[in-house]
Amino acid sequence: MFSSSLSLFHVRFAIDDVPFSIPAASEVKDLSNVINKLLEFKIADHKHVEFDFLVRGQFLRTSLANHMETENISTEEVVEIEYVQKFTAPQPEECIMHDDWISSVEADSEWILTGSYDKTARIWSLEGKAVMTVAGHTDVVKDVAWVKRDGLSSLLLTASLDQTVLLWEWNSERNKVKARHCCRGHAGSVDTIAVDPTRTKFCSGSWDKMLKIWSAVPTEEEDEVEEPNRPRKKQKTEQMGLTRTPLMTLSGHGEAVSSVLWTDAEELCSASWDHTIRLWDAETGVQKSMLTGSKVFNCISYSPLCRRLASGSTDRHVRLWDPRSKDGSLVLLSLTSHTGWVTAVRWSLSNNHQLVSGSFDNVVKLWDIRSCKAPLYDLAAHEDRVMCADWTESGLILSGGADNKLYTYKYGTCVSDAGA
Amino acid sequence: MERRADCSWWSGGKREGRRAPGKRTGPVKCPRERETKAVSREGKKGERPAKQTSYRKATETDRIGEKSIKRKGTQGFVCIFRRTVQDKMTGSDVRLSDEQVDLVHRLQHGKFGDINFNEYEPAIDFFSNEVMIHPVTNRPEDKRSFIPSLIEKEKVGKLVHAIKMGWIKPRRPKDSAPLYYDLWAKEDPNSILGRHKMHVPAPKIRLPGHEESYNPPPEYLLTEEERLAWEQQDPEERKLSLLPQKFPSLRAVPAFTRFIHERFERCLDLYLCPRQRKMRVNVNPEDLIPKLPKPKDLHPCTAGHSSLVRSISVAPGGQWLVSGSDDGTVRFWEVATARCLKTVEVGGAVKSVAWSPNPAVCLVAISHGNTVVLMNPGLGDRLILSATDQLISSYEEPTEVKDQPVEWSLAEGTEHQQGQRLILTHPRAVKQVTWHGKGDYLACVMPDVSSNVQVVIHQVSKRRTQNPFRKNKGMVQCVSFHPIRPYFFVATQRHVRVYNLIKQELTKKLMTNCKWVSSMAIHPGGDNVICGSYDCRVLTNSSTDPEHHKKALRGVAYHRQYPLFASGSDDGSVIVCHGMVYNDLLQNPLIVPVKVLKGHTITHDLGVLDVAFHPTQPWVFSSGADGTVRLFT
Repeated sequence: MFSSSLSLFHVRFAIDDVPFSIPAASEVKDLSNVINKLLEFKIADHKHVEFDFLVRGQFLRTSLANHMETENISTEEVVEIEYVQKFTAPQPEECIMHDDWISSVEADSEWILTGSYDKTARIWSLEGKAVMTVAGHTDVVKDVAWVKRDGLSSLLLTASLDQTVLLWEWNSERNKVKARHCCRGHAGSVDTIAVDPTRTKFCSGSWDKMLKIWSAVPTEEEDEVEEPNRPRKKQKTEQMGLTRTPLMTLSGHGEAVSSVLWTDAEELCSASWDHTIRLWDAETGVQKSMLTGSKVFNCISYSPLCRRLASGSTDRHVRLWDPRSKDGSLVLLSLTSHTGWVTAVRWSLSNNHQLVSGSFDNVVKLWDIRSCKAPLYDLAAHEDRVMCADWTESGLILSGGADNKLYTYKYGTCVSDAGA
Repeated sequence: MERRADCSWWSGGKREGRRAPGKRTGPVKCPRERETKAVSREGKKGERPAKQTSYRKATETDRIGEKSIKRKGTQGFVCIFRRTVQDKMTGSDVRLSDEQVDLVHRLQHGKFGDINFNEYEPAIDFFSNEVMIHPVTNRPEDKRSFIPSLIEKEKVGKLVHAIKMGWIKPRRPKDSAPLYYDLWAKEDPNSILGRHKMHVPAPKIRLPGHEESYNPPPEYLLTEEERLAWEQQDPEERKLSLLPQKFPSLRAVPAFTRFIHERFERCLDLYLCPRQRKMRVNVNPEDLIPKLPKPKDLHPCTAGHSSLVRSISVAPGGQWLVSGSDDGTVRFWEVATARCLKTVEVGGAVKSVAWSPNPAVCLVAISHGNTVVLMNPGLGDRLILSATDQLISSYEEPTEVKDQPVEWSLAEGTEHQQGQRLILTHPRAVKQVTWHGKGDYLACVMPDVSSNVQVVIHQVSKRRTQNPFRKNKGMVQCVSFHPIRPYFFVATQRHVRVYNLIKQELTKKLMTNCKWVSSMAIHPGGDNVICGSYDCRVLTNSSTDPEHHKKALRGVAYHRQYPLFASGSDDGSVIVCHGMVYNDLLQNPLIVPVKVLKGHTITHDLGVLDVAFHPTQPWVFSSGADGTVRLFT
């Protein structure tokens, strides 16, 4: 038996900063018991708490000796082992039934907005009560987004296969929804939309390889539209709100744009089927840089907390990128556990280490990037392909799929997960 | 020696007499010596003549000698006589006093003349290490010791000038580099050799370890068995080149016997070490194979059909897929999500579907039974959809009606709402439909050995049909248009014939060497053809692939961009091959099977019925008898 020393302290569960010798064969449970014993000595009314351990920034999953061998850590030196309170498993809360596949979901602090293949978008309360059905598209709703809320009235966006994006105004008190603008201009199905941080603009990406930036501010007059040869469409337009034309069009992708997001107020990021992620300057519409992958990108997500881009692609991997790296094409980390196309990734809004990913293998996985070998938890509730996932600030994980169900999971983020 | 001999000779004769006269030593001794001189000269004279130069002197002394000899008989006179000296000035004899004789004696002995002089007086150190309170000289310092010297100024000026002109260089600072050669240090990259781009530094000697110590730790010492094993090993195989040995002290270490040997080995190492890196491309054969689907990546695309799916076709943009099944339905799928967007009942088992390759038109040709339906699926850009509808509705009836083998009619009512636009009724069952690259011409195959109307070509915009062949050359299996040039490929059971459509003549006849061709695909470059046959083979235009499939082949397809082709077979597998084609037609294409994709279950002894590639991605769609369409990415 050789020993490695352990030195720990914790914000809430603080123990003395003295190196300990620990048997190398000990596993997470043994280490957890050690900490709990120590805490019992220190705090009289200590209750047993499960801990998780980080060795040099990697979660301990096997025995200490195994881990150190795989990570090439010498057993001769003092190894600092951090510990955090074990993340509790997400608890399934609600299962919200839809009439058809759920293509997209976005939640804000009070309401959940889902887009469905039955050509409607729906608004739900967080408890799973149907509040409103937003119908107006002539084809499948592909993506939805909240724009902003002023008191009782909210603005929301729906993008559809019928090549339009609709800007809706929803009054939650009277529970009335009204189409304010119909954004026309795309020549293919609009697959993705993203609202900028100032909540005045939004960007849409489409199958026609274009990204278009639109104003998200509702106005009373209609934009000039040059389509005199299509009177039939015009009539429809009048029903569905005033026509709006794009402020700017960004072209450059060689294939369909699958996902778009704003990294900050001036920068756009888009992922495409042409195996690239491109960063654009939203002011000038110039492409700033490009990250090249080897497979089709299905979805991307950006975390302003850790400034990393996560991408899900058709080769089953979730990859992390640094969008700032100039030389590009540098995958920081590959998270491999899915067995189907990864169709949704979403960073946690509050924790800079965690993200969820949904895949065509019917499983939603919760990842901690410090434990890149295996996900923290598998949420295997869906009976069919997962198509979308989201994460609210209060720690609610949402996922929708082709089994017409929207699942919500309560995920108690740790009170203080900053061990040292 | 000679003189002493003389003396002894002399004294031998006279000593008796000499000693007798008195016991006084001092005064006696002196005359005796004088006598000795005199007598010796006398003796010499007697023996040999004196030299001429000293003759006079000799005569002078001889005179004195003669006198003394004259009076030698009387002893008392000797002393008196010897004190008598002739004064040459006066010629008178002067008798020397005792003091004078004494003085003479002192001088003769080299002593100071004055008897009172003490030559051994104690010395006084005037200049000693002690600092005196009084200076040796009390002279005040000169003025010139306070002003700079002009001469020095001139000298310094000369030096300064020389330094300025660069004639004198200041002394170089001493090199502080250690004198030893650091054997294990890294080589200086700026050294001459280091400047070579691919320079390989000389191999370093291994640092000595504990085992080479004269007093190694006990764990390094070999046990008896280890030592025996070491001795039995070949010198090349030994881990250690020497046996670790323990000595009580460094003094006890014997001379290193292997020294020369070791030096030689080191020299050999240096001599044989490569000095330059040569770039050699080391190709791993596996790297040549493109990274392609794993069976794990199997993506169950769709399972909607209730019967076997005969045919699939991908839209030119790659967003949609159409599949036709024996259950009488045609389904339209979204590739990205595997969503069935549309299901159309056509009323008969669908034999073949084909999406028009023209991206400006959205038309799908569907064959079932005797009819071919041209359908506008209503998917994609609205402008293109309306343009397609416009194209079909803009048709004007020609003034003279020709007799056509096929009846064209417009779809109406519910069929129109479903998307069907034109219905072409053929005389016999249509097995295959295929489009020309421009999307206006459509070829249909009605295999029948007895008829000579087996292939018809339709022009959609003019709603015209023609029968290109008058003669029946065997049962036509499938046809295909050349993607670029006006060629038309017709595959019968054993042959593939290539026709030129403009000249209307047979250009080439390809022998397939197989029993029954089932399917055919043409490389997008147009130079290569692959055929699938019912006897389990894939054929390219010049080579036959060995039998990878276990059962009959049903479909083959080329990828539009990647050098890939796929073949689907009744054994339920799809084989993807990497087929490199060359512009040089004489060179055989290089074919490497890349992957076997197994996903379909075999039903009714049928496996995969059709394969198709995604137009841009390296994805294969396959349709099977189990009613599913699968996508392998």
